[in-house]
Amino acid sequence: MRIVSFPADEPLPGQEAWIASLEDALRGESQDPDAGAWRELRDDVRSLAPVMTPAFEGSLAQGLERLGALQGGAVQADTRPPGEALADTRLRRGRRSLAAHRRPALAAAATAAVALVAAVLIAASHGSGWIASAPVERTPAAAQGASRPLPSTPAQGAATSAPASKAVEASPALGAVNAAGAASAPGRAQQLAASVTLGSTAANLQAISDQVAQLAVRDGGYVQSSNVQVQQQGASEATLALRLPSAQLGAALGAIGRLAPIRAENQSLQDITDAYDAARQQLSDAEAEQRALLRALAAATTEGQIDSLRQRLSASRAAVARSHASVNAVSQRASTAEVEVSILGDVRAGSEGLTLHRGLHDAGRVLVVALIVILIAAAILVPLALVLAALAVGGSALRRYRRERVLNDH
Amino acid sequence: MSALVSSFDQPSSRAGGAPRQGVLDPAAFDALFRDCAADVHGYLISLLGDRAAAEDATALAFERLYRSRSRLDHRRGTPRAWLFAIARNAALDELRYRRRKGSYGLREDLVEDRASGDALEEVERRATVRDALASLPLRERELVLLKFHGQLSNSELARALGISESNAGTRLHRALTQLRAHCAATGREEVA
Repeated sequence: MRIVSFPADEPLPGQEAWIASLEDALRGESQDPDAGAWRELRDDVRSLAPVMTPAFEGSLAQGLERLGALQGGAVQADTRPPGEALADTRLRRGRRSLAAHRRPALAAAATAAVALVAAVLIAASHGSGWIASAPVERTPAAAQGASRPLPSTPAQGAATSAPASKAVEASPALGAVNAAGAASAPGRAQQLAASVTLGSTAANLQAISDQVAQLAVRDGGYVQSSNVQVQQQGASEATLALRLPSAQLGAALGAIGRLAPIRAENQSLQDITDAYDAARQQLSDAEAEQRALLRALAAATTEGQIDSLRQRLSASRAAVARSHASVNAVSQRASTAEVEVSILGDVRAGSEGLTLHRGLHDAGRVLVVALIVILIAAAILVPLALVLAALAVGGSALRRYRRERVLNDH
Repeated sequence: MSALVSSFDQPSSRAGGAPRQGVLDPAAFDALFRDCAADVHGYLISLLGDRAAAEDATALAFERLYRSRSRLDHRRGTPRAWLFAIARNAALDELRYRRRKGSYGLREDLVEDRASGDALEEVERRATVRDALASLPLRERELVLLKFHGQLSNSELARALGISESNAGTRLHRALTQLRAHCAATGREEVA
């Protein structure tokens, strides 16, 4: 792109020959009389310029020597006092020009660094699945916060340590944070559940199963059922159904995840507030009915009334007991989390540890992540570079136009 | 000049190393300085008409050449042409600076004492050339100065100006024709 308009670009007739003869003349290769006139004109034009003073020549050479541009002794040194040395002032502009050269380079380096950091952050924000060396398969719910330990609240602690009747009162606060990591409204009763699949070798299957059971007991829970199947040939598997205090679920999952590489993880939450409220209401109604019957029995005067009220009171006690059991059951669901742990002792799991296959697998993942980072960085840098290049070209053309315009203005 | 180009074109003296195309080595820069410093200074002082500004621009041109030596590509011109292109840009920047400051006119304070010892005929001839040069528009005058002080070939001139060789030749033809016409008009018959 050239925005400077120059005089006509059309070669004049015989121009090439004219240029050739002029250059021959100026080089002294032509003895034509006109050639001598051209040389004389050139010499006259050159002689009009005052010669460079030795002082300036010396200071210029010194300044260039200080830059490292000249080897020492190129020109006689400036004999003037240092304060008068032109180099100190003449080259000051040059230092600014150096800074001007460095600024774009620094800006480009800073931009590239920022783009790289942004790419890494973007890649990381798309889930640790890209970067994690272990091939963890997470369900959507688990991907949001599966590995995040659930915070325990005082209310949760009360719910787990209190008797069932007390837990009924405290259980609505259990759902302050749900299993999927999303905050829920306080005062809700929620049932938590999780399933974890671990990878292991067949030889370690039993040991890991034992450790999982010990963890459950340590955290105040228990093993509801377990099934360990170890085979010399083929896949081995263990399945443990745990019941843990809801407040301990996060810590327990974290501890289980440290026993062996996690293959898959899932957490779920079910809101049971309505069921809890319904059970509470049923209990309240049964108790009210029981109290009314007791009052009526106290006021009864005939044998018939007393017998009838006693029968109804007996039925009412049974209803209250059922309601209590119902409330306790709901409360138990809220305060206890169901955790299913599956341990796979297959060939794939057996490749855990530092093996060639595992190393190649990890190396491949590292390359994929690196490629993703490079792609994201390129997506940031390429448009930016195009814009900067356009600005640079435009700036250069504008600068050139302004320079040439000076010649037109005179 | 020839030593400079030779040094620039020859493979590097480093053992086993390929020549670095864009780098003006210290010896070549040294030769260029000794070969061209006076010409650059003469071009700039003739164009700017001011010794201090010419010295500033001369120093700036050499320093910029040194800073940009890694970008020097001999396929795009000789170091001498590159140097004069830088010097020309520095001079035009100086003229723009003067225009912004308001001191727009060129200061024609070129010394004449140099001719004091010369024959009267030469003094008169130079005066004729000086007057003819001064009568040229700045664009043509700058071209003549660049051609004669820079001693650039037509292709080097085109590189320095950033235009095509054809355009450079056309402009040079026009400028020199005008200069000779002015010389003829003021009595410089032998040139015109």
